[in-house]
Amino acid sequence: MEIAFWGVRGSIPAPGPATVRYGGNTSCVSLRPAGGGLIVLDCGTGARNLGMSLMEGAFGQGRGEASILLSHAHWDHIQGFPFFVPLYYPGNKFHIYGGAQSSAMLEGILEGQMAPQYFPVQTLKNMGAGIDIAAIDEGKPIAVAGCTVRARTNPHGRAGALAFRIEEGGRSVVYASDAGYGAGGPPAASIELYRGADLLIHDSTYTPEDGQRYANRGYSSVEDAVAAAIAGGVKRLVLFHYDQDYSDAEVDALCARARRLLDERGGRGIELSGAIEGATLKI
Amino acid sequence: MRVRFWGVRGSLPVPGPKTERYGGNTSCVEVRSGAGTRVVVDAGTGIRKLGKELAEDEAGRSDVHLLISHTHWDHIQGLPYFSPLYQRGNKLSVYARKRDDLHLHAVFASQTDDPYFPVPFAEAQAEIAFRELSDAAKFEVADVKVACARLNHPYIATAYRLTADGASVVYVSDTAPFSDILFEDEFVERPPSPGAELPAKDRQKLAKMRDGVVRLCQGADLVVYDTMFTAEDYKRIPHYGHSRPSDAVDICREAGARRLVLFHHAPERSDVEIDGILADARALAAQDAAGLEVEAAYEGLEVEIGKR
Repeated sequence: MEIAFWGVRGSIPAPGPATVRYGGNTSCVSLRPAGGGLIVLDCGTGARNLGMSLMEGAFGQGRGEASILLSHAHWDHIQGFPFFVPLYYPGNKFHIYGGAQSSAMLEGILEGQMAPQYFPVQTLKNMGAGIDIAAIDEGKPIAVAGCTVRARTNPHGRAGALAFRIEEGGRSVVYASDAGYGAGGPPAASIELYRGADLLIHDSTYTPEDGQRYANRGYSSVEDAVAAAIAGGVKRLVLFHYDQDYSDAEVDALCARARRLLDERGGRGIELSGAIEGATLKI
Repeated sequence: MRVRFWGVRGSLPVPGPKTERYGGNTSCVEVRSGAGTRVVVDAGTGIRKLGKELAEDEAGRSDVHLLISHTHWDHIQGLPYFSPLYQRGNKLSVYARKRDDLHLHAVFASQTDDPYFPVPFAEAQAEIAFRELSDAAKFEVADVKVACARLNHPYIATAYRLTADGASVVYVSDTAPFSDILFEDEFVERPPSPGAELPAKDRQKLAKMRDGVVRLCQGADLVVYDTMFTAEDYKRIPHYGHSRPSDAVDICREAGARRLVLFHHAPERSDVEIDGILADARALAAQDAAGLEVEAAYEGLEVEIGKR
């Protein structure tokens, strides 16, 4: 499996010289299973660059197919969707999965972003590509691009955010963006989802200090990310969804802090890195 | 009067090394009169940094008049991150064109509704007022005079002229030229077929709209204009509703404006490409003796006009 990072920032895109190295686009990660196909995790503004790169292949000829998994519908996870160019090419097919009480409600949420007062295209139907939308039933694994995907809701905001575990031929990647565990740490169901993963991409919005200061915002600090990685016994942790105000130097410090915390708390064997826009990883 | 640019980009924010110089934040321009009245035009992501500055400089007290050209995302998406909203004692007045189909308040409140944003609009602590404007509204915000004109953009946008301290700045974004397509509320699916003639009714409406914009820019010290498109872009996608630098130069010349600021740069435009677009626009403006000055907006640009 190959994982690529297109947007690694939380809340709102943060352009400017201070964020050039880690990147300022909001959340979007792509995953290419070894068996072919494409899975897109969240559609923050990073999705625009992903879309443009896809246009060089089958999507540019209207023969592309991908599945999009949406953790939740806060802006920084869907605001790149209207700017994802392959959606405008008839013949391309997209299967969208996300958390909502029904598929119709999930469609309504995406339609809400396209409405004429906000966006000139006005409706999903004007986009051109084939789009089908399905709400995820948490208890049931789904088959996506030859992989098995399981989802769990982490505490975040009013409705929570889905974390996804994607498995292919014994390899596993977990995407857990936007998780506000609170004082109790990760719940058992989340730890079970993370268990033994080859790669855990985890919300690391804050330093431990900012995490305490903004405890009500529903995000993880690096301390929470480290706790999740250790409890789940994962092989590798990637920090993700940095606060919009953190400069590259501050994210460097965040990564160093996470390494120290891992070493101190029994996670010495866990590999660690900070997500960088434009970087790829192979599992 | 001091004009400051906090966000100069169109469509969506574009972080990255290629946009470092001109900036990647979406539309937001601040105008401050000598008497201290603060009028902000549009609330793209650039407004976040203005909010941070206000929170620091003014001990958490601010009184902002926010004029919205239209409510497409790149002109409102920064507002939930404008920190003065969450501070009791602050005031925010939001102005935008009146519509028959939706209340302005609802358009803004929906932006922070569940499931899109964690903090509902109702929880903002600042005192917020909405004012809906007619197409050719004229009003005053303390010592700043405001005049409006309708623009040619999908779902309709408004241009604003702000006058204070004996100087005027006009904000014209977003708009298509007033020639090939009349934009109203409907979705325009494709470019008009080559050679197709517009109905006389549409031509008359466009001519009237163009006159209104020229009048609004008459003798202005500074005109900030949507020049998102190159000539090539306009040939390919005229139905997206944006202008070329040549359209802005034409309007400014006719209006006898002094200085043009190219604005609302396309997301795909690199710093180097904007340098080139600026050089071309300057060469075009230099072809007659009117002496129109041209520059390209960048994040952090400050322009002082009139007396303070």
